[in-house]
Amino acid sequence: MGVLLSVQSLVTQFSTSSGIVRAVDGVSWDVDEGETVALVGESGCGKSVTALSIMRLVAQPAGRIVSGHVVFKGRDLLTLSEEEMRRVRGREIGMIFQEPMTSLNPVLTVGRQLTEGLEIHLAMRQTDARARAVELLGMVGFSDPARRLTQYPHQFSGGMRQRIVIAMALACNPPLVLADEPTTALDVTIQAQILELMKALSRRLGVAMLIITHNLGVVARYADRVNVMYAGRIVERASARELYRNPRHPYTLGLLRSVPRLDEPRRARLQPIEGQPPDLTRLPTGCSFRPRCAFRVEYCATEEPPLREVPDATHVSACWEAERVGSSNGGPRNGPPSPPALGSTSAQPGRSSRHGE
Amino acid sequence: MTKYVVKRLLLMIPTLVGVAVLVFFLMRVVPGDVVELRFAGESSFASKENLDKERARLGLDKPLWKQFVDWMGGIARLDFGVSMWTGAPIIEEIRLRFALSLQLAIMSTLIAVLLAIPLGVLAALKQDTWVDYAVRIFSIAGLATPSFWLGIVFILMLLIVFKWLPPMVYTPFWVNPVQNLAQLIWPALAVGYRYSAVAMRMTRSAMLEVLREDYIRTARAKGLWEKLILSRHALKNAMLPVLTVIALEFAFLMGGLVVTEQVFNLNGLGLLFVESVAHRDYTLTQALVLLVAAVFIFVNFLVELAYAWIDPRIKFR
Repeated sequence: MGVLLSVQSLVTQFSTSSGIVRAVDGVSWDVDEGETVALVGESGCGKSVTALSIMRLVAQPAGRIVSGHVVFKGRDLLTLSEEEMRRVRGREIGMIFQEPMTSLNPVLTVGRQLTEGLEIHLAMRQTDARARAVELLGMVGFSDPARRLTQYPHQFSGGMRQRIVIAMALACNPPLVLADEPTTALDVTIQAQILELMKALSRRLGVAMLIITHNLGVVARYADRVNVMYAGRIVERASARELYRNPRHPYTLGLLRSVPRLDEPRRARLQPIEGQPPDLTRLPTGCSFRPRCAFRVEYCATEEPPLREVPDATHVSACWEAERVGSSNGGPRNGPPSPPALGSTSAQPGRSSRHGE
Repeated sequence: MTKYVVKRLLLMIPTLVGVAVLVFFLMRVVPGDVVELRFAGESSFASKENLDKERARLGLDKPLWKQFVDWMGGIARLDFGVSMWTGAPIIEEIRLRFALSLQLAIMSTLIAVLLAIPLGVLAALKQDTWVDYAVRIFSIAGLATPSFWLGIVFILMLLIVFKWLPPMVYTPFWVNPVQNLAQLIWPALAVGYRYSAVAMRMTRSAMLEVLREDYIRTARAKGLWEKLILSRHALKNAMLPVLTVIALEFAFLMGGLVVTEQVFNLNGLGLLFVESVAHRDYTLTQALVLLVAAVFIFVNFLVELAYAWIDPRIKFR
């Protein structure tokens, strides 16, 4: 299968009063047709900004895509005119947002919000668009779609609203859907339902998906390939299976250890990653994970590790000590002990709100 | 819905009764009465006897509670009595002036809305550019300029530049629309400009807030035209606070335009109000206060209906 989306050396920055925030700092990754790729990392590591950059919806004028390419179906989206880009949004790339409670317009009916994209992109007449909207709501699991179309968002629960958002993203049959933390705002039982629904639909419709999440449990079940992001960069990439079995970056290792597992004794303690993610306005020289890293060696402070193949092109890691991380690792829970606490607080992955999202 | 409307309309009654009690007793606290003021104007000495006779004729010699009950009884039969100063029926005194004030308020509101909403939206879209600054300066100037002063400028400009003076005598719209509009358009512009400044600032800030909402980003991600995002997704949400400002301002215009009315020689409610208080014309003042209160309550009621119509989350109960 061919490459559908290729993000190349993407750099997105925000100018703030405290300096330039390098939210996305030269990341590259691909999504193949029909494939599900995950982008994983703590809050504030640049995951969401990456997705917004692809759609060119980064908040202006503070945010700016500085350089790089976003090649989708052979065209660089960053060179398109605003009108050409508008035709890509919704038609070619659908998007699912994190917060279903606020991402639907409270004063418009669900039907209106579902049909408007169809009318604009596919030039459907109102009756046809309505029929398609009924079909879409049925597809995402509503039992009485025709009646639901006339209702307003506040008449639905969070999980139901996220189903509507999914239906909206899939309305025009786009080949790619970007899902930005699609389940973070939902409670756990609903999360599973929504993820199952997304997986089933992407299989059935052959849609490629980018799932942005901080939840490695989500990744394991639903993604084919995983990109781990830290401080605006990709630090490790592998197939989901390989990443779990054989993590080659200390950060990935840390993330895996901080996830509770059902196959371990209940008394086993979770090991948080000590310290805080770095300030994106003042990234340290060398490896940005160094201050929190148990494997750090002297030259980590001066030499920035490039993404290199460990051991082959399907698995890459940006760590000088990737081999040592791999060999020390007889299963994610038995690795080297955590380094002494560097900050006074311990940061659970995905729970730090220092940079917000 | 119908039940809600009826309920709300019935709830207006206790509010108005409260207003009636308040204005009735407040007027009596003000020193002096209509009889003293009338006779004070005449050079001859008015004997206590004559004053008392006049008071008796107007019913001012009765105990307060009796006066109040009589007045309320009249209102219940929609009989507001006669003016204590002129002796003409209150309904007659108010009718034409109410028509004039209402027309002026409506025209000013139309002008204000037509100015405020497009300019406010424009300023929000072009935030922090010269367009935004120009619009904001225009609106600040509107807030800083008293409308009566602007009215004087209008009249002088028409007179000096165009050698033309707008009609100075009121012609009802249904008698001669051209004559009527030629007179009222100038005060409406002067008042509407000031009024638009408030509404424009509200539109701008509401719009800025709405444009940052997640659902606007969702609409963009759907690939909608920017114009459609504005008109369908943003404007409707941004209109709610603007509506409140417009309604309050509208109700204020029904009786608050004292000086502007003077400048344009308009015989509106504002002037009548001031005169009635100056004359201690109890019956007329009371009727006017009740009328303005009723307009306030009614306009707010209409706003609530509009709110519920715009925002489906608001339900009638």
